[in-house]
Amino acid sequence: MIYSKTLIKMKQLYTPIVAFLLLIQFSCNKETSNTQIEVMNNLLTNKNWYLDYSITEDLTSTTPVVYKTYVGQSTYIITYLKNGTTKDSDGLSGSYTVELVRNQSQIHVQVKTTNGNPLEVIYNIISVGANNLVLSKLVSGPTTRLYFTTK
Amino acid sequence: MRLAITFSNRVLSIFLLTIFLGNAVHAQTLTKKQQDSAFLLHPGQERIRKIKKSLAKTFVNFTSNDLSLYGSLNLSKQKINDNGITAPINYLYNNVNSNTYEAGFSGSFRIDGIYKEKHHYSFSFGINRITAGNYYQNIHSLSPFIDDFTLFKADNAFTTINIAAHYKKLLPVGDMNKYKFYAVIGPSIDYKISNISNENLINGAGNRAIMNADFGAEFDNKGYYVLFAHYKYGVNMKSSSVPIQLNRFEMGMGMKLNDLF
Repeated sequence: MIYSKTLIKMKQLYTPIVAFLLLIQFSCNKETSNTQIEVMNNLLTNKNWYLDYSITEDLTSTTPVVYKTYVGQSTYIITYLKNGTTKDSDGLSGSYTVELVRNQSQIHVQVKTTNGNPLEVIYNIISVGANNLVLSKLVSGPTTRLYFTTK
Repeated sequence: MRLAITFSNRVLSIFLLTIFLGNAVHAQTLTKKQQDSAFLLHPGQERIRKIKKSLAKTFVNFTSNDLSLYGSLNLSKQKINDNGITAPINYLYNNVNSNTYEAGFSGSFRIDGIYKEKHHYSFSFGINRITAGNYYQNIHSLSPFIDDFTLFKADNAFTTINIAAHYKKLLPVGDMNKYKFYAVIGPSIDYKISNISNENLINGAGNRAIMNADFGAEFDNKGYYVLFAHYKYGVNMKSSSVPIQLNRFEMGMGMKLNDLF
């Protein structure tokens, strides 16, 4: 009799504690598959990105790195708009998507060339911030890193 | 002119007296509904009475309980380790790192009592509005052009609910019949109830629950009010890719509910 009373008391005492701990356990993390893409899109969109530097690596053994600066010069500019369209200073326009492919963040750009031919360019995102963007063009051969700022 | 003022004062006095008498008569008269209700069983009230009785039996060793309201000022700083982040996102270090204590506030109620007539304790349930300064432990760079950035941006303003259980050791300082000084120690849990930003959820970094170890001192002035100063050392309750230490100083005052109302 005493044992069962103690058991009831313990139940009364521990039930809310257990319920509270379960609540904490099941509601700690609410990351979704789109979280990272949303954050990157917010940093990327509705800005003019000016190409400041490019670095091409692994060209030949004699010239392993080609470094170019466009600071203070007329340079390449690209804009990614919130509605999913893109436009650059070469006159190319089209659409783009930010994707996460095998844990690698990428920008897939679909444009039409001046001849009207469709062209897809894929960039790996090395780093994106509020004022700087580093991309790597995904092509076979030497790797080119593009350093953009918003000025 | 004087006659007009005297007349208006008399009218005002009669008006106020009428309202007062009306209220007094009204207070003495029970409506039909109230009269019926007095004879009826109230399942809700009965249930509350039973719960109270049951709690009194369960917590028979917890005596001299006083319910108080408290309010406090918080100074908070969080220490952030972003080494677990793999997302290619950067935040300029100088824009997000403040490395200072920033002010927030807390309030709600607490119960002070004595366990087995020997051990002083307090249980509190509070709501905190925390504004924390951020100290990022790691500085990253992307040579040759981007220097000093972090991979993560922690939310620095959020709201939590807090539950604390503190053991209070009475210190032999001064006239203990008038003033009581306590050393306080115990655990507490904070749970974020405000929205967590997307930046805070990246790579599984989001964490709502914070487990704290609390230390501090309290001063009880003849039972009129309690002044307290606590230090809270908090860590993520669940493992996270971005471990965050939340350090807080809490200074406030509590007053017994019976004295307030």
